[in-house]
Amino acid sequence: MDFNLTEEQEFFRRTIREVVEKMIIPKAEEIDQTDEFPWELWKEFTKLGYLGLRYPPEYGGMGLDKVSCMIFYEEITRGSVGFAQSVIMNMLMGTHFIYRFGTEEMKQRCLIPAIRGEKIATICFTEDQSGSDLASIRTTAVKDGKYWVINGKKQWITNGPICDFATVLATTDPSKGLKGLNFFLVEKGTPGFYPGQKIQKIGCRGTVTGELIFDNVRIPEENLLGEEGKGIQYLQEILDEIRIMTGAMALGIARSAYDEALEYARKRVAFGHPIGHYQLIRAKFADMATELDAARLLVWRAAWMLDKGLTCTKEAIMAKMFATETCIKVVDECTRIYGANGMALEYAPQRHFRDARFLLYGGGTHEVLRDYLGRLILGKL
Amino acid sequence: MDILVCIKRVPDSEAQVEVKEGNVLKIEEKYTINFFDNLAVEEAIRIKEKVGGKVTVFTFGSSSSIEVLRTALAMGADEAILIEDENVPYKDEFVTAKVLSRAIKDIPYDLILCGREAFDTSSGLVGPFLGKMLGIPVITMVTKVEVKPDERQLEVEREIEEGRELLRVNLPVLLTTQKGLNEPRVPTVMGLLKAMKAQIKRIKVEDLGIKPDSIGEETKVEISKLWEEKKKRRIRWIKGTPEEMVKELIELLKSEARVL
Amino acid sequence: MSGILIYGEHREGRLKRVSYELLSRGREIAQQLGEKVKAVILGNQLEEVAQEASSYVDEVYLFEDPILENYNSEIYLQILEKLVKREEPSLIMAGATLQARELFPLLGGILECSVIVECVDIKIGDGKLSYVKPFYGGKILGEVIPKRYPHIVLVRPRVFQVKEKPAGQGLIRKEEVQIDMSKVEIKTLDVFKVKEKITDITEADVVVCGGRGLKAPENFNLLMELAEVLGGVVGATRAVVDAGWRPQSEQVGKSGKTVSPNLYFAIGLSGAIHHVMGMDSSKVVVAINKDPTAPIFEYADYGLVADLFEIVPILIEELKKERG
Repeated sequence: MDFNLTEEQEFFRRTIREVVEKMIIPKAEEIDQTDEFPWELWKEFTKLGYLGLRYPPEYGGMGLDKVSCMIFYEEITRGSVGFAQSVIMNMLMGTHFIYRFGTEEMKQRCLIPAIRGEKIATICFTEDQSGSDLASIRTTAVKDGKYWVINGKKQWITNGPICDFATVLATTDPSKGLKGLNFFLVEKGTPGFYPGQKIQKIGCRGTVTGELIFDNVRIPEENLLGEEGKGIQYLQEILDEIRIMTGAMALGIARSAYDEALEYARKRVAFGHPIGHYQLIRAKFADMATELDAARLLVWRAAWMLDKGLTCTKEAIMAKMFATETCIKVVDECTRIYGANGMALEYAPQRHFRDARFLLYGGGTHEVLRDYLGRLILGKL
Repeated sequence: MDILVCIKRVPDSEAQVEVKEGNVLKIEEKYTINFFDNLAVEEAIRIKEKVGGKVTVFTFGSSSSIEVLRTALAMGADEAILIEDENVPYKDEFVTAKVLSRAIKDIPYDLILCGREAFDTSSGLVGPFLGKMLGIPVITMVTKVEVKPDERQLEVEREIEEGRELLRVNLPVLLTTQKGLNEPRVPTVMGLLKAMKAQIKRIKVEDLGIKPDSIGEETKVEISKLWEEKKKRRIRWIKGTPEEMVKELIELLKSEARVL
Repeated sequence: MSGILIYGEHREGRLKRVSYELLSRGREIAQQLGEKVKAVILGNQLEEVAQEASSYVDEVYLFEDPILENYNSEIYLQILEKLVKREEPSLIMAGATLQARELFPLLGGILECSVIVECVDIKIGDGKLSYVKPFYGGKILGEVIPKRYPHIVLVRPRVFQVKEKPAGQGLIRKEEVQIDMSKVEIKTLDVFKVKEKITDITEADVVVCGGRGLKAPENFNLLMELAEVLGGVVGATRAVVDAGWRPQSEQVGKSGKTVSPNLYFAIGLSGAIHHVMGMDSSKVVVAINKDPTAPIFEYADYGLVADLFEIVPILIEELKKERG
């Protein structure tokens, strides 16, 4: 069993790390403080072409393996969570269904510019009353001749207020529950489609999250992505990947907090020694290092299974849950290592602490996931 | 223009370094391309982009040095060559320069770029040694390069204590880079992919007609002892009247701390 | 092989300070080992420089000619190579200046001998010399033994002390200057004597940093004066940057810049850990603060518990007198 990354993956990881350290990390605090979308950084970064990692070359992508993609997600999240969320939305959820089911024209209009960073993508599931319970969404799509008419309101949409196009989950038949769910492509400028309120968040600041309103939005029939009724089936295709990706993001946040706490413990002096000298502080690092390593192995193993085409639903959930819960623990510990300084806005740990919260429901709440994994293990009883 | 660049993999400036029994160094696993060598790679690529040509990067080191060769390729270098040092028991700057000169002497080149010094040794010897071994002029601390390819000359600005001087030199020449020369680019994903897939040429010193054992004897210096610079500060309180304190401080800064 | 040869680097008609340092130390070493010590000076119109040097050494090789007026590595090398091959000194010392750090490695390449750069100490044991130099950015020190004569050692400025000029005079030998210009490929076109204002505090050798103890933005003028006299720059804590007293570019600390100058003054600042993390690797730290319990004293080499408004003006005065 070779637990090592290949030489190319190591090189990829190191290079991305350096890019993040040079371009993103210096801006991270400003992004968090202003909570403004960093347009300049977006332009600079997307120009380098990294957004196409998981798509094939004919769309300007790189067709990279999933493990390398996870490495990428981890590293940019370590740089700035807010910025990373917007980037990953363009790279994964916001463009995937167009790549899979869109017409060539749609790909030219939406996918390729999104990969180049020229357009901002997003995906809409959540509504005010529907989070985990997708079957209960109330956004409807009604056929009218050669058009679909979309009505509804989506909430908590990453990139929502600034998006150029959106993949929207809507129901064509509420009575069919999950089987009535479908994905539709809605583009900016379509009458009736407009952004609503921006949400003020305690973490993941910088990325613009908010409402999207659909008021009798008429879209051509080909904007139904894929076959009618298969929306959930299509979603299953990338659910594992989304979960593993969330795990990778958790690693990024945790590592950011961990690295800083390590430097702090080496420098901060109390009772005549750097605090890292003391046993209980050392113990904290020992535990954090162990759990982070375990989390990373779970994330990479699940990604490896994706690359090999193996079913990895269980492993993806494990990776997501364990990495997230480890991250929550790590950011907590790290703020404590800073003592009172952990409360101060001047120091970074509080930012990681705030940023980490979204992991608990992004990619699935742990309450739902735990139950689901348990059911998978025990079977139908 | 054919440009050769000599680079080195060095520990990150933040990496912890400890000395263990027997003068063995324990270095934290954080390595990177030497800062000044990175400037050299960037400059070589810029010159190539302006006047055309080829950029080849060399390093004399262990297999892990391939990392920095790939970084150079990702930035836009055309070819990368690793000269393996695994069998060479001892190497100092002279041996390094000699090995590099053997690898280089049969390759056509117009310009060689090196960093002004490596982070781990701060010697700045390899560049000048290499230049002399190849019989070409050397200019160190370069902050600007202007190519005049038709006339086979370069106009070069370099740092001196009082400021800068402008020099003209005939090709071929070896230049060493100084901070301020350029701002190295961040690799694009295309560059990164190209670097990941690239075939790195690996040469053994034997291929250069050098016997690994005997080259070790050609070192010009030997390191007999290594120890850690005491990092912990112990404060020295300066007391007295303000005038007295100032006098004592200045004296200490001059004679003890040696920073004035 | 025998004897010590010292490179007398000079500027504007005077020996550089590091040359005095090496002449002093070189003379000491020569006396201890019972060797001769000589100096070599290249340039134009250097009578005074040669006189100065000759007090420390047995002999000065003086190469005077208009062609040597401006440093040119290829021209200087022709002279040094011939001289060294003729006189065969066992040790050649020069200050680790920008000029010497180009010239002497090249000489070492020609002679295929030992070259040690940035020496910070010379140890004498059993009539033999060994040299200490830093590695890994100064985190590690190592003792280096040269194996092949002549031993060329470039010494870091300010490592050795300048000793009082001895009475007496050594011999000054005016040497013939013969340069084969056909072999000189480098030509100097222009020299810009620019003392560029350092805009990046991470590049400065000296940083004078102030915090809230300065009480008001205009008081930073005091620090600017001190910085000027020391040839350094002004730095600021996050508190005063947030208060708008100083620009962000001067902020030292985790969310500002990390500096590691030779000399760092922490004036009127408490030393919050995130600030400390931005300057902890400075070579020498001097803290001036009224409060003896200020955390900054944990990270300083020299501590002055005093009123900065009393100390700093006096410090500036005394330093000006020194520069005088």
